[in-house]
This record gives sequence, structure tokens and C-alpha cells, in this order.
Amino acid sequence: MTEFLNGFPKPKNCPQPGACIRVERPEDGLAIVVLDPPHRSLAVLDAPLLSDLDSVVKDLENDSSLKAIVFAGRTPTQFAAGADLDGISAITDKSEAHQVVKFVHGIFRRIEKLKATTVAAVGGAVPGGAYELSLSCDYIIALNDPKTRIGLPETQLGIIPGWGGSHRLPKRIGIPSALDAILSGRLFNAKTAFKRGMVDRLAHEDQLVPIACDVAMGRLKVHKKERGISKYLIDRNPIARLIIGSQVSKMIRAKTKGRYPAHPIAIKLVLNAFSANAHEMVEREAKAVADLATGDVCKSLVSIFFASEAAKKFARGTKEFKPRKLEHAAEIGAGVMGGAIASVLAEKGLNTRLIDLSRDALDAAVIDHQQAISKKQKRRRLKPHLADAAIDRLTTSDQINGINNAEIVIEAVAERLDIKQQVLQQVAEQVPDDCIIATNTSSLSVTAIAEGVRNPERVVGMHFFNPVRKMPLVEIIRGEHTSEEVLIETAALAARMGKTPVIVKDVAGFLVNRLLGPYLDEAMRLFVEGVDAKRIDELMLKFGMPMGPLRLLDEVGLDIALHASASLEEAYGVRMTPCPGINALANDDRLGVKTKRGFYEHGKGKATLCDDLSTFQTGNACKNLSDSDIVDRLILSMANEAARCMEEGVTATQQELDLATVFGMGFAPFHGGLLRWTDKQNKTEIVKRLEKIILSPDIIERNGGIEKFTVSSWLMR
Amino acid sequence: MTSYSQLDGGPQLVLAAGIRTPMARAGGMFAKENVAHLGAVTTRELIAQTGIDPAIINEVITGCVGQPFDQANVSRVIGLRAGIPQHVPARTVARNCASGMEAITTAASNILSNMGDVYICNGVEIMSSYPLLFGDKMTEFFTELMKAKSGMRRLKLFSSLRLSFLKPKIALLGGLTDPTNGMIMGKTAELIARDFQITREECDAYALESHRRAQVARDNKRLAKEIMPVVALGTKRGGKSMRNDDGIRDDMPIEKLAKMKPYFEKPDGIVTIGNACGITDAAVSLLLTTKERAESLGLSPLAGIRSFAWEGMDPSRMGLGPVYSSDTALKKAQLELSDIDFIELNEAFAAQVIGCVRAFEKQGMGEINMDTLNPNGGAIALGHPVGATGARLLLTLAHQLIESDKQFGLATLCIGGGQGGSVILERL
Repeated sequence: MTEFLNGFPKPKNCPQPGACIRVERPEDGLAIVVLDPPHRSLAVLDAPLLSDLDSVVKDLENDSSLKAIVFAGRTPTQFAAGADLDGISAITDKSEAHQVVKFVHGIFRRIEKLKATTVAAVGGAVPGGAYELSLSCDYIIALNDPKTRIGLPETQLGIIPGWGGSHRLPKRIGIPSALDAILSGRLFNAKTAFKRGMVDRLAHEDQLVPIACDVAMGRLKVHKKERGISKYLIDRNPIARLIIGSQVSKMIRAKTKGRYPAHPIAIKLVLNAFSANAHEMVEREAKAVADLATGDVCKSLVSIFFASEAAKKFARGTKEFKPRKLEHAAEIGAGVMGGAIASVLAEKGLNTRLIDLSRDALDAAVIDHQQAISKKQKRRRLKPHLADAAIDRLTTSDQINGINNAEIVIEAVAERLDIKQQVLQQVAEQVPDDCIIATNTSSLSVTAIAEGVRNPERVVGMHFFNPVRKMPLVEIIRGEHTSEEVLIETAALAARMGKTPVIVKDVAGFLVNRLLGPYLDEAMRLFVEGVDAKRIDELMLKFGMPMGPLRLLDEVGLDIALHASASLEEAYGVRMTPCPGINALANDDRLGVKTKRGFYEHGKGKATLCDDLSTFQTGNACKNLSDSDIVDRLILSMANEAARCMEEGVTATQQELDLATVFGMGFAPFHGGLLRWTDKQNKTEIVKRLEKIILSPDIIERNGGIEKFTVSSWLMR
Repeated sequence: MTSYSQLDGGPQLVLAAGIRTPMARAGGMFAKENVAHLGAVTTRELIAQTGIDPAIINEVITGCVGQPFDQANVSRVIGLRAGIPQHVPARTVARNCASGMEAITTAASNILSNMGDVYICNGVEIMSSYPLLFGDKMTEFFTELMKAKSGMRRLKLFSSLRLSFLKPKIALLGGLTDPTNGMIMGKTAELIARDFQITREECDAYALESHRRAQVARDNKRLAKEIMPVVALGTKRGGKSMRNDDGIRDDMPIEKLAKMKPYFEKPDGIVTIGNACGITDAAVSLLLTTKERAESLGLSPLAGIRSFAWEGMDPSRMGLGPVYSSDTALKKAQLELSDIDFIELNEAFAAQVIGCVRAFEKQGMGEINMDTLNPNGGAIALGHPVGATGARLLLTLAHQLIESDKQFGLATLCIGGGQGGSVILERL
């Protein structure tokens, strides 16, 4: 193996040198380089493959008879999945990272300089490094198939396209489009990629490699998109670049609040793409990657990425059990949650029957569905015929009927055990015996709901978050009797709905609400004890939460929060006893966003804090706390509860818990999730800080204060 | 003449189930609807309510007069959009105003000739979406423009463009005019009125009664038994589903009708907008099968088909079509008019209905008890979405027999172009 790659960790089942790449010679003057590593189901640019690529390129350089070279994947739908993230996230030494990047740059540069015409024949997912490899070829031919997704998503993982992408893409498609592609990290479908000039031609599956060969041999001409005059007006115009740079930087700063270092670096690299020579390009990208990849943000983002990949993998089933592709669903309850769940189900291809006693509720849900779909159609996210089908698939009924072919029923009726049990028993009589019965409860026990339902192993919790269309997490609740197959199929459905499923034990509040409970309660208590509402919310925004806790209380609804905290108290005792202060503030006209008034006034424009808040601040015990003390009380109340969840095995792994905090409550992704943040602070340090909080007089006095902050034994480990 | 009788043997045909949308005045609630969507809505609901496996359906047969230009063979579009598997074929049938009834008799012929035994029969019409067409001159202009190669030629063409070219052809009016005699449908009714000395007052009184009956049937939820609520495409947030037919004029004073001017023959005609059927949008879906198959599917049928008949006659008096076809259907059923408990006779025009009543009598077929004729009101109140009406009459009649626990019913309508269609239902 090449010594330059020593710093790049090798995968576990690393094959022999030369095994990863096959060179085919179907005719004189033509070589087809096939990426076909035996140790991967989808080729990944990892140490063994790169090292093989290095030696293959060496052979190609020395072969003067070659006229044409085609780089292809194992099949037209499998090119390569990009750089080896496992390897990258394992690199901790900057100079090693630097060396690895430079080495790969060297290979790509040599491919670029090959005398023969080079063509990349790509298809399926072509993200990051795989696309950068293609960019160093003379032509890129892409598979014309919905599976094709091409782009440079590196910034989403806290790094930049470091194998030439930051320079070669702007040169290919111009600075504005390249900035958009790199900063958004979007993976483009084949047609869009072609329109934007990211690839030069599209071809169907059986034609991909033959056409690539014809293009490489010069038998088929491909017209490359030329940027024409805009190249000089924008890309090579320093004033235009300055304006674009400052505008884009401003936009990115507003979006990332400076938390994501990769974006500004990417902007700089792209803007200077035309002025850099080959050597500078390598140096700049290598330095940027070395800094970013070894930094904390990148590692946090990569860990979240891996956790979400693992969640999706679970949803794909096991060797023994593959989930069915469900076709018929029913949703009971057409409230805000039920209606939105039904809408997404119908959009994602399931014939969905929405059932509610109230015709008015059904009407509102159908109107919302039709509007959501036609909005997508207007924005060209859905073709007209698919939009029609999405609208057609939702039917409604004001009685329980038309569900005799349902494969899954999701219940979202009133949060009362007796009502839910009654409804589900009625449902169970009409649906087939293997129909999954899911409950979207947020506060009741799935095991209790399953009682009295025939075949309780098919009852499962499917906890969506509000608003359903936006929130990416679904907690899949494993009841006492829930079977593994039902868990997998439910997770698969969640994944098909575009959500990330996390398997959670059937405990009160499940995971996310159980963690939010102490956090929101603590915010309330800080507020009552004299801390300015504005200060609380701003500190949490600064910490990296998407919104402050008091603002979040308004969004959730004060009545809902009260109800939730009551059920948490019932399950966990005094440590969850809600702050009495919220009762003073909340009344029928003041429940948060839905009544336009809570902590904030929610009018037309931006929400502003109410001016009478000080009347609810009855104490001043916390008035003099420092900023970091306030942050500690808020975050540690949550972290301590998360540690208890780990003790109880609420999720199987810490990664899943972290994933749920990022996707379910928006916990700052650059921290990598709640427990990863705790790890970074060092657990003993956390324990010390918790012990300090316990000694505060107001905590000692508070009912349940000590119990809340008593250090979980998981943190002591 | 084409006719069928159950008494000749063969399987007992049954209407196993049916559902319809409310009938919406054209340009109103369903203005943004299209035939395929509305047809798919009722078809889907019919399948859901009956719980049948859509894979067993032999064919989807849809009657529609004004097929949308962008939904060729709209029956197929409906079948696929309703979630019926791809292997189930579909065809669209047309017999002008009786297209919805044609769907049923076509399916019946299929069952009788052993081609299958489970059919979805639809009648769908969105008259709101009947297009305006460019006139001949404008069409010619476009054709020439396509052919023009040089800029000069194009310039010359544009200079020939006149504002008058933009005058559209109205598809709705074109469709309601008989091309063989140039008569618009209303005029054929005027002819009948003269033949039978029918007065304006009689017509208005009939129209008023139609509205009154429909109002009662709506308020006592009789019509709701056959209607499914529909959230029309384009409904704004805060809107509601359409739950009732919206053509019914509540508590209309007769003076209002009397004030209307004759529409087709001025100044002495008697047919007004008020005593003619309304232009409406609706979809109806029926499940036609055999008694045996319905039982094995666990369905209790609405009604059985005893006989049916199609007859042709003078296009300029097309409104009398029901007399011809009903005569045949009754003979085929070996029944007298007096044996029939309820009649659904489509109210294209009040004058035409009264004309039929008189003609029945004149032909010696017997006197019609007006209480049994369109007991829930008819097209004058509810509207006449042409392709849907034939199916709607059968659905309404079947429910009426069940509601009042009676045995025989006749559904019949007149058909533009000079035809009559009749189906006799019986409770099994």
C-alpha cells in the first residue's frame, strides 16, 4: 500500500492490493476502469481503492497506445459512494489529513493530465469524492434514472469538497451555480445535473458504458455547455465576485450563525477558483480539509450522519426479514397530527383512509392535504400526475369502514386510554390479522393501549412530532409485546415517509418529551425566579438550539406542556414536578401560538415578548446566576435525564439518543447531540457542575430540585 | 330496438351498491374539478364501502358525454386513479344524455354474454369544464402561421388577423344542439308543448314541485343516503366539503318562475331557465354484478334489473323518448304501467315531462300517479349533468324502492338525437 496513505485508516476487511479495480480492454486503444472493490457493497473511495487507483493510473500513463479511458462503476446504478467517511472521521492528526488529501489530489490531477480522452460513466449516488473523481475526467456521462443523485454534500458534514471539487466545479459550471451546489450540499437528479452542466450527457442504463466508450473514442461528439460571456462578466470579474461573495457570506452567516466553519471556507475557495493555479488549489483544499476534518464540528456531523444511516439501515430489515412495501393505510383521527400523517402517507404512495367522527375535521384535513400537494406541484417538487395521484389516494369516512385491506392503521385520537383502547378494538375487528396497529400517542403507554387488542404483537407506537411535514424524527415505540418484524416494518414506513426512525422503549414521555420536560420546566423556573425571559431564550439560541425554551413552550402550547408534565410527574415522581408558575401565566386565552399570546405576542410580524411578564416573576433566587450557570441548569437538567435514559436502555445506543435529540428537538447538530456534547465536556466535569447546582439554595428548597439534579449513575461511569 | 328481459332467463343482474357526489351547479363548487378526479373519488369510495378487492373487477365502464380533451378514454384514467389494478380494462361509453345508463346496460350485456360478472359503472360529467373553442377563421390563421416560413409571410398573416376571429365556439351550446335538424334541445321541448297544448303555468307549477320535493328529500336526509361529501379541488382553507345538491331553490315563490323570460323561443315560448334542467357537475358510481356473485362477496344488493330497452324516434321530439322505450321495457318485464311503484323520469324540461305523461295516457298505457313520479324531485331542481344522470336515476330509484319498501321501479330518460332509454328495477 502506498505510504502516503498510511495516515488514512484502512477498513476492517481490507482486500489484497489490486483487488479493488479491474481494467477491461474491449478494443484497441480503449480501457475501461471499473471500480469493483470486493469488500464493499457499494464502492467507497477508501485507502485500498485509492491505492489501487494510484497504480492503475500509473499503468495508464505508461501506455502510449491508449486513446480513450472510461471510468465506470460495478453496475450503471452503482458508481461510488464518495470518500470513506469512517476513515476520515478516524483521522485526528492534521498533517496526516493534509497528506491524504494531497495524495488523492495527485491521482486526480494525473487523471486530468492523461493524454487519452477520459470519460466518467456515472449513475446511482455520485456524492462528494465520487463526483470529484468524475470532475477530473474530460467528460461526464450520467445515468438517466431517478436513482442518479449527483453533488458535493461535503459542507453538510462540516468539511469542504477537498479533492478538487471546490475548484473544478466552479470552472465547469460557473461560480454562482457552484456556490449553490456546494453550500446547499444538494444532490441533484440526472436531469437537473445535466441542465446545470454538472454532467455532459445523459444515457439510459444499457447504453451508459457503450456511449461513454463511443465518446471517449471520439466516435460520438458531445457538446459541452459553454458559459459564454457570463464567464467573463461573473467568474473572471473581481467586482462581481466581491459582490457575490459578500451577499452569500451574509446569507450563510444568518443561517449558520457562524457555527459551521466549512461554509465560509468553501465560499472563499470557490470565489478564488479561477485565480488559483494547480499547485495553489491543492494546497488550499488540503489545508482546509486538514483543519476541518480534524475539528469537532465535522466529527459531530459525521457521527449524526452515521447514526441516521444506521437508523435507515434498520428500516431496510435483516437478511431473514425484509419489510413489505405497504400499500394500504388507515389513519384514525383527523386532528392536526392525524390529518398531517394521513397527508404524508397519501403523498408517499399509500392508499390512505382517514377516519374521524367529525366531517368538519375531515374536510379541514383534506383541504390541507390538497393545498400541501398543489403547493409542491407549483414549486415543481411534484409532477402534475404525481400530484393528482397523491390527492386521489386520500379518502375519508366519518365511520370506521373501508379498512378491510389495511396493512397499517395509525391511531391519533384523543389522548385518553379508554378512548384509544375502544377505538383500536373496533379497528382490530375490521382489519386483517397481520395489519400493524400503530398509536401516535405522546403520553400513554403503548403496552397499555395494546391491552385487549387481538394479536398485541402487532401494536406499536409511532410518535410523530408537530408539525409532521417538517419534523424529521419519528419515535418508534416498542411495547412489551411488539414483535421485531412489526418494529422493522413500522420503521420502514417512517423512512418511506421521509422520516428518521429511532426505536425507543415504552417509558413515559418516550425519549424526546421526557428530555424536554425537565428542560422546559427549568426554563420556567428560572423565569419565575427572576431571570429575564429574553435572556433565557437568547442564551439557548447562542448555545445552538433552534429556538429558546420559552418560545418553544409557546409553540407547543402551554396547555399541552402542562398536560405532558403532569404525566411525566406521575411516572417519574417529584423530579418532574412542574413549576407552579406556569399555571399563573396560562389561561384559556393565553396558551401560546394558537391563541396568539403566551410568553410572546404572536401577531403578524415577528413574535415579541409580552410586556407583562415581570408580573409572573414572583421570586429572585436565580436573578444573579451567571450566563454559564443558566445554560448549565437548562442543558444539564436534560443531560442528566438523558443519562438516566441510557441507564434504563430507553434507546439501544448513545448514538440513537443523540440522533433523536438533534432530529426531534433540534439540539445543535454541530454539538453532535446531547450526550456527545456531554462527552465533549468530559463526564467528570459534568458531574462537578451538577453537584454545584445541587448545592444552590433555591434547588435545595425546591420540591424535587435535589432529585432532578442528583447525578445519574451513568454519568459516574 | 334493443331490449332485455330477466324473464328470458340468465343470471339475475343486480345493482350491488352505488354512491354519488352531490350535484353542483356548473361554474360553482366543482368548477376546478375534472372528470377523472371526480370519477375516481366516487369509484374509490364505492370500492372502500363495499370492501371488494378491486382486482376482481372485470372492467370499468364510464359514461361521459363531454370527455376532456386531455383525458382520452376517461374511464381508464378513472380506473387507474381510483387505485384499481392495471390489469382491469376500462372503456368509455356514450349515448348522449343517457351515457350513465348506457354504462349499466353495456355492463349488463357483458355479464349476460358471460364475459365477466363484476363491473364498475360510472356516469360522470363536468359541464363546468366544457371548453370554448377557437372559430374556423382563427384555426385557419394558426394553421397558416405554422406553415409560414418567411418573416414577410408571417407579417402579412398577422395583418389579416381580426378581432372577430377571437369569437369562440361554445362547446356546451354545440353539444346541446342536434346536428341533424339544427334544433337546440329547448326547441324540441317547445314543439312537444305545442303538440300537447302544455301551458307555461303547468310547466312552472311542475318545476316548483320538483324543487319542493327535492328540498324535503334533502332535509329529511333521504338524498344523503346516496351522496358522499366531496371536498372539491380548489377549496380554500376554512372551506367545507360539498354535502348536498346545490341546485335546489328553497321555498321559491311561483312568481319568481313566472317572471322568467322564455329562453329558446321568444316571445311566446314556454320553456324558461326556471322550468328546464340545470347545467351541473357530478359523478356517480354503481357496482353491477349478479345476485350470486353479490352474495359470495357478502353484499346485499340495492335492486335487481328486471328489463331494459333502448328505442329511437323523431329527433325533433326527442323529449318523448321515454314513452317509446318504457313501452318496450314494460312489455319485456311483463308489467303494466300500473304495476310500477315509482318512476324516475329525467326532467330535461318540465314541458317534456308533462308531454310524456300525456303521451303515456294517449297511448293507452295508463295514467301516471304524479306522486310516484320523481318523488325526490328531478333534474329541474338537482340538475342534469348529462353523462351522470342515467346512473343517478338508477341510484335514486333503487334507494326509493328500499326506503318505501316497494317492488318495481322505472328509470327512464329522453336522449338528444331522438332516443329513449328505460330500465325497470325490482327489489329482490
